[in-house]
Amino acid sequence: MKRLALVLALLAALALPTGASAAKAQRIVALTPFGANTLVRLGVTPVGIGQTLGGNERFSPKLKGVEELPLSHPNGPNLEQLASLDPDLVLSSPTWAKGNQAMGSLGIKVVIREPRTIAGAYADTYKIGQLVGMKHRARLQLKAMRARVDAATRGITERPKVMLILGVGRTPFTMLPNSWGGDIVSKAGGELLTGGVSSSSGFERISDEVVVAENPDIIIAVPHANEDDIPSLTEYLRDNPAWASTTAAQTGRVYVSVDNSLLQAGTDIARTIRKVRRAYLQN
Amino acid sequence: MARRASVFAALLVALALATVASLAFGAIKVPFSEVIEIVFGNGPGGPDQQIVEALRLPRTVEALLVGAALGIAGAILQGALGNPLASPDVIGVTGGAGFGAILIIILFPGSIALLPIGALCFGLLAATLVFLFAWSGRNRGSATKVILAGIAMLSLFTAGTTGLLAAFPERAPSAIFFIAGGLTSSGWEQLETIWPYFAVGFVLALLLIRPLDRLALGDDVAASLGSKPQLIRLGAGIAAALLAAASAAIAGLLGFLGLVVPHVVRMAGGSSSHAYVVPASAIGGAALLAAGDTLARTLRAPIEMPVGPFMVLLGVPLFLWLLRKAV
Amino acid sequence: MAADATAVPLLDAEAVEVEIGGTQILRGADLRLGRGELVAIVGPNGAGKSTLVRAVAGLQNPSAGKVLWGGRLLSGIRGREFSRLRAFVPQRMPVPAGVTVREAVTIGRSSHLRMLGRLTAADRAAVDAAIERTEVGRFAERALTTLSGGELQRVQIAIGLAQEAPVLIADEPTSQLDLGATIGVAGLLRGLADDGLTVLLVVHDLALALAVADTVVVVSAGRTVAAGPPAAVLTPERLAEVWGADARLSEHDGRTALHVAWIDGPAALRAP
Repeated sequence: MKRLALVLALLAALALPTGASAAKAQRIVALTPFGANTLVRLGVTPVGIGQTLGGNERFSPKLKGVEELPLSHPNGPNLEQLASLDPDLVLSSPTWAKGNQAMGSLGIKVVIREPRTIAGAYADTYKIGQLVGMKHRARLQLKAMRARVDAATRGITERPKVMLILGVGRTPFTMLPNSWGGDIVSKAGGELLTGGVSSSSGFERISDEVVVAENPDIIIAVPHANEDDIPSLTEYLRDNPAWASTTAAQTGRVYVSVDNSLLQAGTDIARTIRKVRRAYLQN
Repeated sequence: MARRASVFAALLVALALATVASLAFGAIKVPFSEVIEIVFGNGPGGPDQQIVEALRLPRTVEALLVGAALGIAGAILQGALGNPLASPDVIGVTGGAGFGAILIIILFPGSIALLPIGALCFGLLAATLVFLFAWSGRNRGSATKVILAGIAMLSLFTAGTTGLLAAFPERAPSAIFFIAGGLTSSGWEQLETIWPYFAVGFVLALLLIRPLDRLALGDDVAASLGSKPQLIRLGAGIAAALLAAASAAIAGLLGFLGLVVPHVVRMAGGSSSHAYVVPASAIGGAALLAAGDTLARTLRAPIEMPVGPFMVLLGVPLFLWLLRKAV
Repeated sequence: MAADATAVPLLDAEAVEVEIGGTQILRGADLRLGRGELVAIVGPNGAGKSTLVRAVAGLQNPSAGKVLWGGRLLSGIRGREFSRLRAFVPQRMPVPAGVTVREAVTIGRSSHLRMLGRLTAADRAAVDAAIERTEVGRFAERALTTLSGGELQRVQIAIGLAQEAPVLIADEPTSQLDLGATIGVAGLLRGLADDGLTVLLVVHDLALALAVADTVVVVSAGRTVAAGPPAAVLTPERLAEVWGADARLSEHDGRTALHVAWIDGPAALRAP
């Protein structure tokens, strides 16, 4: 009898959180890959995910079958399409500022979660967990994430100087430590070339004179391009006369990364760090 | 006469100062004495030498060339079309070049090396279309037709550009420096491909100086003197298109120079004689762009800003001041 | 100063037809210029006077007919060479800002200059001579935009004179001018003809034509209907036929006048 009561109490205790979560937001639209993938890891499947035109978003395979909303400026998703999904919550990004406002006036709850640093990713994972009533699961998830990242950053043998740039052509923007890519590369052991500049946006156009003076060992470029473009882009960057005297150009350590892993927050942080170490930093 | 001579002298001084500043100043401090040594071939080597020789020197030369080209293009277009609002934008070149560049940046990023060629080709294409339309039908080659066709073409290509940028907003940052006008420190590589277009444009412009003076007295007087007015306009259009397209290929969209510099030069010197206005616009344009570029590179060093706004900052007050004094 | 009838005429135009934008302007006009002549072309508005002089001056392509300059077909003479044969002074020249009188007259000399060549002493002398002859020296360093109508017309003629061509063609050089300015330009043109220049004018003012011209050519409805000495051509019958006017020209004491019955019917029949 006592044992039955215990089991019933346990069941009740277990049922309560799920009962509570039943009361929490159920129909969620995630406009960022970070939001979508985080939800899925917390056991919540969104009713809609955002996909930018010509974007290379990396979505968890568990999201297959979820309706995709095309995203474009300035609103992000088509508001009618969004409304037809009848969402209780939208996880959005500051990029869609105008759309966020519009969604708010439609009575939809909008929460902006687009981390720009790894620490921010940890914090946002927890906050999303709170929003969907999965705090416990979120804490477990965070523990696992931190462990994976620690494993990925073990045994760093070198800390080469890295110039991380965004964009194509001869006028790229340098990514600073307070950008997603910058934080990843720093964590992976790279010393970012910044010219002493700091900026709230996380990237700036820095003079080539600074590049020559600071002489990076490695140049990593993150253009918005396709896989097939990598060889020609790499050659183009290697041939930049302005950088000809740098160690990076002279040792041929110029790399191009076309997926979004260095551009936009994702949930596969450890994997990205490992890739950066293996493919680019070689440390 | 004396007034023109003194304005010319002032422009030469401005040019010299701007050139020196462009070589001496930048994101990295290089002592002036060292700059002199490097320029005269006695450099100490190392990153400072690299910076002055491989970065600043080609960039300065580009600024001077592009500034001169745009000044000349504006001067000869204003003379040929007899319209003070004429500028390289009006013959559609800037719109076309912008579209060509953005097309590559946004849709074919892998072929980014072709950016200057793309800008050049589309710039010339736009100008060709403008001339074709303006030379068809009645009133062939009249100034009004050229200007109207140019504005239509500009609108068309600008719409295309804006559409591309709106459709692919994350690729837009790469396009900013082209649209706002910006020189790059990429050595001689662009000049090596583009210089012939400058050369032909400069030579054509030189040959057009006297014919444009004749045109200023009207089509009839020009014909009486043995010129063909339509041919002069076409020649001027071709020269301006070449100079403007080549400039856009290297330095993005710089609209202000070609329109305003010839006016500043005319108002300051009190003369519209093309033998004065064309060379003076070349020198004035070169000085303005070199100065503007130096500012864009140094004000927030090591951050580089687009050069377009700085030229406006330098040129507009001077323009307005002269405008107040002029009739 | 009568034309030299035995020499090859400077200009010989026959049966010239001109079509502009689908409209037939000239239907067959003839024109002959002898050395040292001052020929005045007269006719009603829209008759085709301007078109005729522009056609013979090479500024307008004729659709039919023959135009010979010194015995050579117009179509075979190239632009710059042609500028040595005739100078054309249009009715209205655009007045550009920032150009002085001397600069404008120097531009008139530019057909003599080689491409990118400098002005020679002879060129400068020609410019000075043109300025002096037209008496615009007083304001030679002033901008064109500061000149009065009469002064500007003189400068236009100076620009033409700088070409040093044996023929000066002027399209209505006096139509925009007041009486005083007209007298000045008339005297200038007549003086040039007296000095041996061949002058071809389009004029509106019949009394002026009578006063200055050696030969008058009447153009009406696209055809030349008469050519000859002014008094012989501008008879009251001609005036009635071509202009539909009850008028006659008279010359007395060095003055010419056109007497016109402006209002229909003799004055006596009107109410007092």
